[in-house]
Amino acid sequence: MSSFKQLQLYVRWKGRDLLIEMVNVSKKFGDGFRALHNVSINIKNGEFVFIVGQSGAGKSTLIKLLLKEISADSGSIIINNKDISKLKRKEIPYLRRNIGVVFQDFRLLQDKTVYENVAFAMEVIEAPGKDIRRKVPIVLSLVGLSKKSDLYPHQLSGGEQQRVSLARAIVNGPSILIADEPTGNLDPDTSWEIMKNLNEINHRGTTVLMATHAKDIVDSMKKRVIEIEEGIVIRDEQRGGYEV
Amino acid sequence: MKIRTIRYFIRQSFSSLWRNKAMSVAAISSVFAALLVIGIFLTVVLNVDYLATRLESQVEIKVYVNDGLSTEVINAMNKDIKGLSGVKDSMFLSKEKALEEFTEQLGENSNLLDGLEEDNPLADSFIVTMEDPRMASNVTTAISAMSNVENVVYGKEELEKLLNITYLLRVGSLTIVFILVLISIFIISNTIKLTVFARRKEIGIMKYVGATDGFVKGPFFAEGILMGLLGSIVSIAIICIGYHFGIRYIEQQSLGFISITLLPIASVFYNLSFSLVLIGIIIGSLGSMISIRKFLKV
Ligand SMILES: Nc1ncnc2c1ncn2[C@@H]1O[C@H](COP(=O)(O)OP(=O)(O)OP(=O)(O)O)[C@@H](O)[C@H]1O
Ligand SMILES: [Mg+2]
Repeated sequence: MSSFKQLQLYVRWKGRDLLIEMVNVSKKFGDGFRALHNVSINIKNGEFVFIVGQSGAGKSTLIKLLLKEISADSGSIIINNKDISKLKRKEIPYLRRNIGVVFQDFRLLQDKTVYENVAFAMEVIEAPGKDIRRKVPIVLSLVGLSKKSDLYPHQLSGGEQQRVSLARAIVNGPSILIADEPTGNLDPDTSWEIMKNLNEINHRGTTVLMATHAKDIVDSMKKRVIEIEEGIVIRDEQRGGYEV
Repeated sequence: MKIRTIRYFIRQSFSSLWRNKAMSVAAISSVFAALLVIGIFLTVVLNVDYLATRLESQVEIKVYVNDGLSTEVINAMNKDIKGLSGVKDSMFLSKEKALEEFTEQLGENSNLLDGLEEDNPLADSFIVTMEDPRMASNVTTAISAMSNVENVVYGKEELEKLLNITYLLRVGSLTIVFILVLISIFIISNTIKLTVFARRKEIGIMKYVGATDGFVKGPFFAEGILMGLLGSIVSIAIICIGYHFGIRYIEQQSLGFISITLLPIASVFYNLSFSLVLIGIIIGSLGSMISIRKFLKV
C-alpha cells in the first residue's frame, strides 16, 4: 500500500472518528467582554476530557456554545460532521438529544419521583411509552439507584441527586455527556462516586466532557486535560494533571 | 402530532389552571364578560333582523285621494294600482269608513269625535299592501304621479327607527366588545405568564434534553384555549337561561304598532354557541401567543 493511500485512509478514519471539532472559535459578550478567543479543540469519539481553568476563564461559555444556547461570533463548531453554526432553530432540539448535560445544581423537578424525573427526559421528546418503561430502570441501575426510584429528590443525598441527573442525561442515549462542575456541591467521597459513574458511562462508549475545579480528581484520573485562561486554550495534554 | 402528546398538553393545561386558581378564575371571568356582551348583542341583532323582516312584509302604503271621486274613477285607479309590480292588493277606504274605524279604535274615548260625522276631516284613501316590500318606494313614486292623488304615505318610519336602533346597538356593542376582548387577552396572557414562571425550571430541562419548541409551547397554548373555552361555555349557559326566561317576559309586552315575537331558543342556540366558542378560542389563543412570544424564549 502506498504511503499516500495510507494517509488517505488515516484521514478518513480520523474524520469519521472526530466527534467535536472547534476551529478558531471566538465569543464576545454584549459589553465587549472577550469570553473565548480563537479556541480550536478536537475531541474524538469515546474520549474523556477535563476542562479546567480559573473561575471566569470561559469553561461554561464553551459548554453553552456546544449546546447552542449561545452562538459563536466567528469560527466553526462541528459536531457529528454537522456545522452547528448553520443550524436552524428547529434543528437545535435534535442537536441536544445527542448531548446529555449535568450541572452543579442537579436541576431535578422536586414534585417528581426519581423515576419520573428520568422518564421526563424521554417523555418530552415523545419517546414511546414502552421504551420509557424499559430504559428508565436500566439507567437507574447503571447509576445504582434502582432501590430509590420512588423517592422524591428532597429525600435523597446530594450525591444521589446528582446520579439521578446523570441518569436523566444519558437515558436518551446521547453520544456526548457534558458535565459542568458536577461535583461542585459534593464532598470528596461523594464526588468520587460520581466520577465512577462518569467513568462507567465513558467505558460504555459515551464521550465525556467535564468542566471542573476538582484538582485531586483531575490529577488522579490521568485523562486528557484542556486548560483555558481568559478565553484562550493554554494547554491541551493527554493524561494530564490539574496544573502543569 | 401524536394523540399522546395532545393528551399531555391538555393534562398540563388543566393542572396549571388549578395551580393558578385565582388568576384562572379572573381570566375565565373576563372572557365570560366579553362573550356575554357579544352573545347578548348577537341575540338582539338576530331578533331585530327577524322583527324587521316581519315588519317589512306588513308595510302598507296609504294613498290619499281628492274628495268626491266617482265610483268609475275609483275602480279605475284601484285597477291601475293593483297592476303595479310588487303590489299584493289595493283596497279603497272611504273617509266615512275610515272615521268609523277610527271611532272603533278609540272605544270609550270615541265621544271626542262627536259631531265630526257632519264635517269629516279625513280623506278617501287606498290601502296598498306589498308583495315585495323592497319595491315599496318605486310603487310610491308611481302612485304619486297618478292624477287625483293628493298624498302618498309609506309607513316605513317605524321600520327605519328600528333599523337606526340596531345601528346604534351595533356600533355601541362593537366598541364594548372590542375593549372587553382586549382586557380578556391581557388577563389570559398574564395568567399564562404565571404558568411560564411556575414552570421555568421544567422548561429549562425540557430544552436541555431536546424537546421541540412546539412541545414546550403546547401546554401554554392549550391553557389559553382552555380558558377561552370555559369562558364561552359559561356565557352560553347564562345567555340561554336568560333567553329562556326573557323571551316570555318580552313577548307579553307590546310596542303598540306591532306585537313582538322572538325567535325560538333552538334557532338561536346553534349560531350563538358556535360563534361564542369560536371567539373564546380565538381570544385564548391570542392571549397565550402573546405570553409565549414574550416570556418563553425557547
Ligand atoms: N451572558 C453573559 N454576558 C456577559 N458576560 C458573560 C456572560 N456569560 C458569561 N460572561 C462572562 O464570561 C466569562 C466566562 O464565563 P464562564 O461562565 O464561561 O466562566 P467559567 O470558566 O465557567 O467560570 P466558573 O469556573 O466560575 O464556572 C466570565 O467573566 C463571565 O462574567
Ligand atoms: Mg462555569
